Amino acid sequence: MSYLERNLKSTPRGLGKVLYFHWPLAILIATISGVGFLMLYSVAGGNILAWAQPQMYRFVVGFVMMFIIAMIPIVFWQRMAIFAYLFAIALLLVVEFFGDVGGGAQRWIDLGFIRLQPSELMKIALVMVLASYYDWLDESQVSKPQWLLLPLALIVIPTALVLKQPDLGTAMLLVAGGGVVIFAAGVSLWYFAALLASLVGLVAAVFYTRGTEFELLNDYQYRRIETFLDPSISPYADGYHITQSKISLGSGGYAGRGFMEGTQSRGNFLPEKHTDFIFATLGEEFGFLGGITLLGMYMLIIAFCMISAMRNKNRFASLLTIGIAATFFFYFSVNMLMVMGFAPVVGVPLPLVSYGGSAMMVLLGAFGLIQSAHIHRPR
Amino acid sequence: MNRTPLRPLASVISARSKGENPDRIEARERAKRNQAMMTRQRKRAENRLMIMGVAFFFAFGAIGARMGMLAATEPAEPNAIASTSQILNQRADIVDRNGTVLATNLTTQSLYAQPPLMINPAKAAKDLMKIFPDLDEKRLTRDFTSGKRKFLWVKRKISPEQRQAVHDLGEPGLLFGPREMRLYPNGNLAAHILGGAGFGKEGVQAAEIVGVAGIEKYHDKLLRDPAMNGAPLELSIDLTAQATTRRVLNGGMKIMGAKGASAVLMEVNTGEIVSMVSLPDFDPNDRPNPLVEGDPSDSPLFNRAAQGLYELGSTFKLFAAATHLEKGLATPDTLINTESPMRVGKFKIRDFHNYGKTLSLTDVMVKSSNVGTARMALEAGAGAQQQMLSDLGFFEPVDVELGSATQTKPILPKRWSDISTMTISYGHGIAATPLHLATAYATITNGGYRVKPTLIKQRGIAKDRPQVISEKTSAQLRYMLRQVVAKGTASLGEVEGYEVAGKTGTADKPKPSGGYYEDRVIATFATVFPASNPKYVLILSLDEPEVFVHGEKRRTAGWTAVPVAAELISRVAPVLDLRPAVAAIDQITYTSAGN
Repeated sequence: MSYLERNLKSTPRGLGKVLYFHWPLAILIATISGVGFLMLYSVAGGNILAWAQPQMYRFVVGFVMMFIIAMIPIVFWQRMAIFAYLFAIALLLVVEFFGDVGGGAQRWIDLGFIRLQPSELMKIALVMVLASYYDWLDESQVSKPQWLLLPLALIVIPTALVLKQPDLGTAMLLVAGGGVVIFAAGVSLWYFAALLASLVGLVAAVFYTRGTEFELLNDYQYRRIETFLDPSISPYADGYHITQSKISLGSGGYAGRGFMEGTQSRGNFLPEKHTDFIFATLGEEFGFLGGITLLGMYMLIIAFCMISAMRNKNRFASLLTIGIAATFFFYFSVNMLMVMGFAPVVGVPLPLVSYGGSAMMVLLGAFGLIQSAHIHRPR
Repeated sequence: MNRTPLRPLASVISARSKGENPDRIEARERAKRNQAMMTRQRKRAENRLMIMGVAFFFAFGAIGARMGMLAATEPAEPNAIASTSQILNQRADIVDRNGTVLATNLTTQSLYAQPPLMINPAKAAKDLMKIFPDLDEKRLTRDFTSGKRKFLWVKRKISPEQRQAVHDLGEPGLLFGPREMRLYPNGNLAAHILGGAGFGKEGVQAAEIVGVAGIEKYHDKLLRDPAMNGAPLELSIDLTAQATTRRVLNGGMKIMGAKGASAVLMEVNTGEIVSMVSLPDFDPNDRPNPLVEGDPSDSPLFNRAAQGLYELGSTFKLFAAATHLEKGLATPDTLINTESPMRVGKFKIRDFHNYGKTLSLTDVMVKSSNVGTARMALEAGAGAQQQMLSDLGFFEPVDVELGSATQTKPILPKRWSDISTMTISYGHGIAATPLHLATAYATITNGGYRVKPTLIKQRGIAKDRPQVISEKTSAQLRYMLRQVVAKGTASLGEVEGYEVAGKTGTADKPKPSGGYYEDRVIATFATVFPASNPKYVLILSLDEPEVFVHGEKRRTAGWTAVPVAAELISRVAPVLDLRPAVAAIDQITYTSAGN
């Protein structure tokens, strides 16, 4: 139990909570989703039924869900953390062993109204469980090695399961999101420095020994890594995406070609034009101004979350807010960098904008948690 | 660490002297210490947050800078001019087996504008509106006059007349570039086979054409290969036969109240697909978007013949008969036990009608007895059945020049129990595409030689075809198939002079939730003609047909797929140079094997 947690008396009650909502955050989320609807309408060639409308329905459901989650005291969610984590692990195991192996490569669970990707849920559940762990742990103990074992295991288990699917992008997001919570919890910087050094060392060793008789990997494995790092080596697969999206961003110029004027929506350049590569279309139609505005709105969300976390004296709530904000940050930055050819092509959607129900729902649910942390903060 | 003691001696002494409780000093000191620790931790947490904030800010800067860099690159079109030489626009034509064009390139003009070169931008925008009323005048005026745009596309494809009209405006800022586009002059006719193409890299002088589906995608590299040197890609399709097939199938589908239909016409010896139609279809000149939700098999893009996995029903009985004849377990006259119902464990198998105690093997086919076939399959065993189905290609995707087909793997039972053996013998519990069935029927009836289906025109029959069944067995099976049409379930399939032989199959459609629909079927007619010297195999299936005949609702293949197939054969056979042989009907017997 944290030192100020019981001092909840002055927090708002009942419907009065609505007044204490983080309204700017909620409005920002709705605005970004609105941009998403516009883009989906545009890439479908002016057809609202294809993607925009289903996305709107999902947004409405998700937004209501966000409010409901926000109304429930954060203490409740703290107690739920471990169950959420175990539940997500169970779902990951279910898709691992009973998932639709023959069908698409990605593994989903069909809940009837929505097809849920357990790895999406895991991102939030992991942050929740780590935040509640560090809330429970005495702060003077956080840097002791024996107290680091459990959080590392908590990260490694779902990461391994997700890697097996295989979904490298989500696995990286899991590690990054978990890492941020551990970092924010105050674990000694030496651990992070050591981790970084050993990573650099490993990569250097792997590539330094290439061509010598001490090679650590097979040649085809090197080539695979190279293709991963530089997609233009395999121009028929990923490189094609990147070239196309760079062209569209370039042709968008400073102010863009205008709404519905993007060639992406007419030609079938990008197979993922409504999901992972939607930012390319946005860049083409609204140009640099549009792109930087969207980026600005994303950063504003992050800023709101950071400020809220900093002011929150409840350690769980604070860590949770930071963790979710960081996960959100990794989402959009990896996606944008990928579309701009700065990062390898991994399947990470542009949050709140890309078409897809699973990510949207989970994100709105996560923002519900942030709202709950904000409303029920100790005063 | 230097700690202040909880009970500093001096304070305790002075407190005692004042008569206060020294424990309160301890409490005060403890609170102070806690306070200090909390402050330290808070400080630390804030530090961490600050570090992250800085990191986030730098990431924001990096992404923003990258965005700015990309936006500042010259618009893509001038870049594309530089790389125009790399765009290959000599994509080979696609023709049918007789040289009729199925896909070709058409040179049109693209119209683009360079506002800095314009003399009177506002007038140019106004004039353009007269030629292209569908443009947006406001936007055009803004783009031309704002001074920000150096380049913009006005129209991607324009006609020669429109080009002349724009040329006559005399505006130097309006420019043209040649542009090749892919044209499918026959529209919907061979939609699923050809697939479609779209633009890849786009430049002022040319645009790259990329195959997005069908044979255009499968042979994309070949079609773009400069080594083709103007030679077209010759398909096995016969456009006239394709047109006939589509027309008859479309009419038949409507008359039979079906929601979809497919037909595959294959040369039995070479495996060449002469026509292949899946309805509903689409126009490859204007490919529709894929369905976002719902069942993808309802999309017109879905090729029922090559992608549709269906339980093909009684058409499979032929394979049980083939196994029996080939293993020497029976002759066409051997009597098979058809006592109905047949009980195996909890399961009961029964026939449509009760056919009495025994039927000859030929009559088991002619009357389509489930019980008889199931008993045969049990007798021959699961191993023999699997061997036969695997030899006929039912365990693998069809290896044909369509990506959609090579990705469609038949659905087989997870555990091959006795029940599976029995139900599979009459075509339930296994799902394959009509193209699988066509391949298998061609193999069975052409003398037993395994064919490899293809969409590319072949020069003669392949040399080293593995033999699946003997020529004698093949002839006996053809005789049985002939009897099915002459006096059995497919009697409506008779087309005078063409010795139509075939087997019907009516399979209940599976519900997505499990189990089968009572009132929705896939009706299939697998047919080969002429029976004495087979030339073509035709697989025709209707999805959910339902007709009223003699005041009764009919769904079985004999009433739906068979008459459509008969109509199709009577029209397509003359086109394929098959002459009717009126007297040939009674000449074929299974003793005439080996011809």
